[in-house]
Amino acid sequence: MDAKRLEISRLINRFAFGPRPGEFAAALKSGAATYKKSLLNAPAIDSGAPQEPVFADLGPRPAPKSADSAQFSQALGAQKKELTIWWLDQMVLTNKPLQERMVWFWHGHWATSIGKVNYALPMLTQNQTFRKHALGNFKDLSQAMLVDGALQVWLDGNENTLKAPNENLAREVMELFVLGVNRYTEKDVKELARALTGYQVPRSTGVVTLNQKRRDTGAVSILGKTATMSGPEAINHLVDQADCPRFLAERIWYRFISSTEAMPKDHPLISALAGKDIQQGLTTLLNGKDLTNAKYSIVKAPVEWFVAVCKALELTPSKLNSFAKLNGYLDKLAQIPFSPPNVGGWPTDEAWLSSASAQFRISFADWLVKQADLSAIEAIAPEKRVAYLADLLAVPEWTARTSAALGDLQKTLPRLVSLAICSPEYVVSQ
Amino acid sequence: MNEIPTMSAEQLGMSKYTRRQFLKFSGAATAATAATVLSMNDIAEAAITRPLPLGTPILVVVTLYGGNDGLNTVIPYKDPAYYAARPDLTYKAETLLPLSDGLALNPAMTGIKTLWDEKKVAIVRGVGYPEPDRSHFSSMAIWQTGSPKTHLSTGWLGRWLDTQKIDPMTSISLGSVLPPLLVGAKNSGSALPLGGLVIPSGIYAQACDRLSQPSKADNKLMAAAALSMRNLFSISGNITPILSQATQMSDDLPTVGGGNAGGDSNLTQQLNVVGKLIAAGAPTKVWSVSLGGFDTHANEANAQAALLGTVSTSITKFLSQMKASGRSKDITILVYSEFGRRVKGNGSEGTDHGTAGPVFLIGDRVNGGFYGDQPSLTKLIDGDLPVTTDFRDIYSTVLEGVLLTPAEKVLGKWSGRIKAIKPV
Repeated sequence: MDAKRLEISRLINRFAFGPRPGEFAAALKSGAATYKKSLLNAPAIDSGAPQEPVFADLGPRPAPKSADSAQFSQALGAQKKELTIWWLDQMVLTNKPLQERMVWFWHGHWATSIGKVNYALPMLTQNQTFRKHALGNFKDLSQAMLVDGALQVWLDGNENTLKAPNENLAREVMELFVLGVNRYTEKDVKELARALTGYQVPRSTGVVTLNQKRRDTGAVSILGKTATMSGPEAINHLVDQADCPRFLAERIWYRFISSTEAMPKDHPLISALAGKDIQQGLTTLLNGKDLTNAKYSIVKAPVEWFVAVCKALELTPSKLNSFAKLNGYLDKLAQIPFSPPNVGGWPTDEAWLSSASAQFRISFADWLVKQADLSAIEAIAPEKRVAYLADLLAVPEWTARTSAALGDLQKTLPRLVSLAICSPEYVVSQ
Repeated sequence: MNEIPTMSAEQLGMSKYTRRQFLKFSGAATAATAATVLSMNDIAEAAITRPLPLGTPILVVVTLYGGNDGLNTVIPYKDPAYYAARPDLTYKAETLLPLSDGLALNPAMTGIKTLWDEKKVAIVRGVGYPEPDRSHFSSMAIWQTGSPKTHLSTGWLGRWLDTQKIDPMTSISLGSVLPPLLVGAKNSGSALPLGGLVIPSGIYAQACDRLSQPSKADNKLMAAAALSMRNLFSISGNITPILSQATQMSDDLPTVGGGNAGGDSNLTQQLNVVGKLIAAGAPTKVWSVSLGGFDTHANEANAQAALLGTVSTSITKFLSQMKASGRSKDITILVYSEFGRRVKGNGSEGTDHGTAGPVFLIGDRVNGGFYGDQPSLTKLIDGDLPVTTDFRDIYSTVLEGVLLTPAEKVLGKWSGRIKAIKPV
């Protein structure tokens, strides 16, 4: 396979949510190094970004069957819908694709579901926090997440008190957010839970406060250090562990390079993340050799696939003909933004390749392609369309199988395009 | 897209499910190409000519995601230590469903109590594995791969599938994402979303078929993507007509306060579909269904009782459905969760992650009763129940007693067994 096509295809598909029309061909012309620079040095102002929603605090849920109950549910539903469609638009329209891809990464990392949080407002705030720190310092992000209302509600922070410590948040901070499994003891979890006591948050606003009366102010022993620690001090202590950059490197590797092949133990990404500077880590990763190594393929998760299709076909999620249908397809493919299946985030690779998802992808593709303006493809001679699609979609190479299958349909738009975006070569970032 | 014409329940009534109707269905889907029609005919032929023979054992695995609180499932209600450890969370003795040995079932589990009285329920107590892991994901991975010490990328039933001939129908998981449980090295289970599968038709079907053929240039994941599309055609051809008469969709219950550790929410509907497919003769030996919401760190009692009620009622309904089909003697149900919960309540009227918990085996072929020792509430390890039975004892027993496969092929050498399954 052409190494240059492979590397640039991976850069665009994995780190930028896929190409806009012409972007892949242009990057091939200017070279991988130039493309990397443009990814890492996005413009300061995001001229593509849609207007962020502004949500009113809806207050506590009225009693069931009370007079206000129906109106409340309607307002809540409207906010949730607006939140989802806004973020999908943002992913498609942004001119800072690497930053947005990292927002998506952090959403899967600190995976919080609106299913339990219930309100859109705290989920929006969390999303803004991810964007603010997307390429910044992980220590700042961790501190912001400690007092993130959605995360606190999600992991029972309200219930974690001096009298009755609740380990939910502490365990996931160690296991899934900062250090990684088996890098601490059960005792460390219990002690961290004590250090994180006292936070309170009203669900509807997600504004976190500290109630000193509910705080355990005794000394705690966490990972070899015994001291009185505030919540922020405990988080800093965890982020300062040598296991933190290693864990971050592993997670970035898992989502961007390969979830089936282990990261080499001495991978340069680990030392690049020593200062927890995410931009620095990604710079090292992008300039390393992994992106030209043929064995590191990865499956596009359903949202990544959808956003990439929208970008290539110049579709805007909020302008599709039915939000209910869009939501339904994403639901059937088992990935709706703001609703990860559990605190570990979404699965990877083969989990997205069931026969059921193949079916839903085909009908989803049909629905999307029918709404796209295909005149640019129509203007091309039929025998050149298959090759054109490879460039449009940043597919490094069609197999002979797929070339032949697409070739049969070269005169049959829009089916040709539906089939191309359902091909193994596109569903998988090779 | 051109969808297959939907046939009415009358046309495709399970009892009246004829070869002619099957061919009509497959012809409608793929009339455009000789090759595809042939392969659909082959599938139709296969489903008619090789329904699972009556008497073939069938395993139904029910995974409870989130860590079910075993102590409030099988309750040591005569032990004062139980009441002392979790005063907010105990049930009053008179509401419980007493079994024996000082143990009782959660008040919501009336259906399973009836089955217990009929000696169709084996309760294995104190089940876990050495050095318990309290992470949902690690512990669920350990249970599903069947490997506590070394990390494996295959599930225990996936490795069993590797011993079978390649057939996407052998093992089916309800829901659109395949659990690791059914992933093998060369053979994997199929995922079946509720509501069934609809495949493309006409020239498009021909193109999809060509697109899903194996290619030497495929890497591993591309090959898996192509295979999933190929399987779509064979599974949908067999199953969609049966599902078209599925009962109305409904969520069983909200996952109150325990919903952040995975699993589906519609167990009743999943088991209903499994029941219909088994009754229709689907050549499937292993089914996987799941229920989420057991991660009850707060306000546990109501949430867990609602979930256990769903487990109990849906299993009872499913088994009575099976009785009507003449297959009830073939069915064994295995119910497990990734861990039990801490003995002591956490003060939020909930419990944190713990260790050992009970596993249920249910069915006509089960020797009802208790297996394994009840973990002591006074000899805790770090506040957690000691494990008295290794889950591999149960897996080995199920592999040999239900799936008629030497356990060693799947789990390596493992000597522990329980006598909970009657010989064929």
